[in-house]
Amino acid sequence: MVNKVLIANRGEIALRIHRACKEMGILTVAVHSTADSYAMHVRLADESVCIGPPPAAESYLNIPAILSAATLTGADAIHPGYGFLSENSNFARIVEEHGMAFIGPTAESIATMGDKVAAKDAMRAAGVPVVPGSDGAVENVAEATRIAGEIGYPVIVKAASGGGGRGMKVVEAPDGIETAFKMARTEAKANFGDETVYIEKYLGQPRHVEVQVIGDGQGHAVHLFERDCSLQRNHQKVVEEAPCPVLDDATRKRIGTICAEATAKMNYRSAGTFEFLYENGEFFFIEMNTRVQVEHPITEMICNFDIVAEMIRIAGGAPLSIQQSDVVMEGHAIECRINAEDPVSFAPSPGLVEEYHAPGGLGVRVDSALYAGYRIPPYYDSLVAKLIIHGRNRDEALMRLRRTLNEMAVSGISTTIPLHQRVVEAPSFTSADYDIHWLERFVETS
Amino acid sequence: MTEPFDIDADLVRKLSGLLEETGLGEIEYEDGRKRIRVARPASVATVTAPAPVAANTVSPPPETSDDSAHPGAVTSPMVGTIYLSQSPGDPPLVKQGDTVSEGQTLMLIEAMKTFNEVKSPRAGTVSNIAVISGQPVEYGELLAIVD
Repeated sequence: MVNKVLIANRGEIALRIHRACKEMGILTVAVHSTADSYAMHVRLADESVCIGPPPAAESYLNIPAILSAATLTGADAIHPGYGFLSENSNFARIVEEHGMAFIGPTAESIATMGDKVAAKDAMRAAGVPVVPGSDGAVENVAEATRIAGEIGYPVIVKAASGGGGRGMKVVEAPDGIETAFKMARTEAKANFGDETVYIEKYLGQPRHVEVQVIGDGQGHAVHLFERDCSLQRNHQKVVEEAPCPVLDDATRKRIGTICAEATAKMNYRSAGTFEFLYENGEFFFIEMNTRVQVEHPITEMICNFDIVAEMIRIAGGAPLSIQQSDVVMEGHAIECRINAEDPVSFAPSPGLVEEYHAPGGLGVRVDSALYAGYRIPPYYDSLVAKLIIHGRNRDEALMRLRRTLNEMAVSGISTTIPLHQRVVEAPSFTSADYDIHWLERFVETS
Repeated sequence: MTEPFDIDADLVRKLSGLLEETGLGEIEYEDGRKRIRVARPASVATVTAPAPVAANTVSPPPETSDDSAHPGAVTSPMVGTIYLSQSPGDPPLVKQGDTVSEGQTLMLIEAMKTFNEVKSPRAGTVSNIAVISGQPVEYGELLAIVD
């Protein structure tokens, strides 16, 4: 059993981890940069260690500093949260080499899933449906033309070393493949220093549907149903809901089972998420996230299950505390990610929070490290609060969400609460008639 | 017809004095058709930032010691353990009162079995050594002051 956890993160997730630890009687160590000396989780933690100046590279990404702090405080486990070092297989390996538990998957799992081609291969072998594609680099125009024809148009040419939506070219018909292929290679070389490209089927109006799994590295794994995270802007999720409002129970059970079985087959340890694009009733695997995710609370609400606590238990060597038959879904949950940004221009708005009122009531959960008088530092990402609503059904959740968004008050900084208030009123959102492009179009036309 | 109402200042003062003396919040006095009420405004708890959470679970924000802002303050560049001498049993590298040159090694910090030298940022006199051998320090912690 774990006795003392070092929280290698900041903001709301650090507070989340601290809460799970305290409910289990586990001591916490908060490592922080000088900019976060007044963060709520630092104030609440049993011990805190300042590990560096504000820049993440010198603090939250500073492996020697974090390990020193862990050694000096006698921590026996480290929770990396999300972002930062959570999917750094080096870090996972170093932590375990120093005799501490890494609260997450093994370094091998992280490395495999971090390599997009290897991940797809692993999924294919495990029977998970993947996006049809070139299965590797495409070397020339002739090969590109052939493969695109086999996949079926429209296709997308992607830079192997790319990401974040850059270095991608959509091709609608065969007459565009040559130009797209050549341009993609040139841009890939210019942007990423590597001209290697591959080709995948392009899905025009997919939803982003992901399945939460958890394994114990001892052969057991369960799925905790799925989330719909289609509402994105610049590849950042903005609103998520669980379960996916357009899946029927048979489909839900089918994809959940495929993911749980793949997780067990890979002997995967800890929490993970299989991300899919879902279109016309078909699932296409895009990647697996080998960490706890920002939106995990909506799954916790519908399953009434503490994912972070289970991660800690598993890291301490315990087997999974539940079986699939114990996982029962109840009601509907929605999460709004609230950023310290202007709700129209999205310009960052760090600074002093003057007043803060979190909404409350039945089915209302606010995961946030904000407090009145807290000064949001300008060095890190802008997520400052997650408003998580649960209702007996989606309609009740929507009513509750509307009410809580109107009640929540933050002054002194700008937040994206007004954006969420507009989204919640949009007919397409209330009817769940959206895809991954919807939010960006909505923002543009508002 | 009503009588003009004349404010009895002495009465008000007397009642106020009684309030102070007794610690009451309010006194109402009636005499025939006249009634007077003297009240002390209830003390309003002003909400000041930062709003404190339960005092027994949250440590207050760390005090920045004045010493850390001293121009000759030497603060820790990393997380680690302080050693004031090169080897156990050796005399310390510097003592309070010593004159040091810029770049002179004042003490060592060990992290992950690697020793790093903490060097004086300026020439001067060591007026304060704020740590002891074996003490764990965090980034930015005050180690010494060189005047």
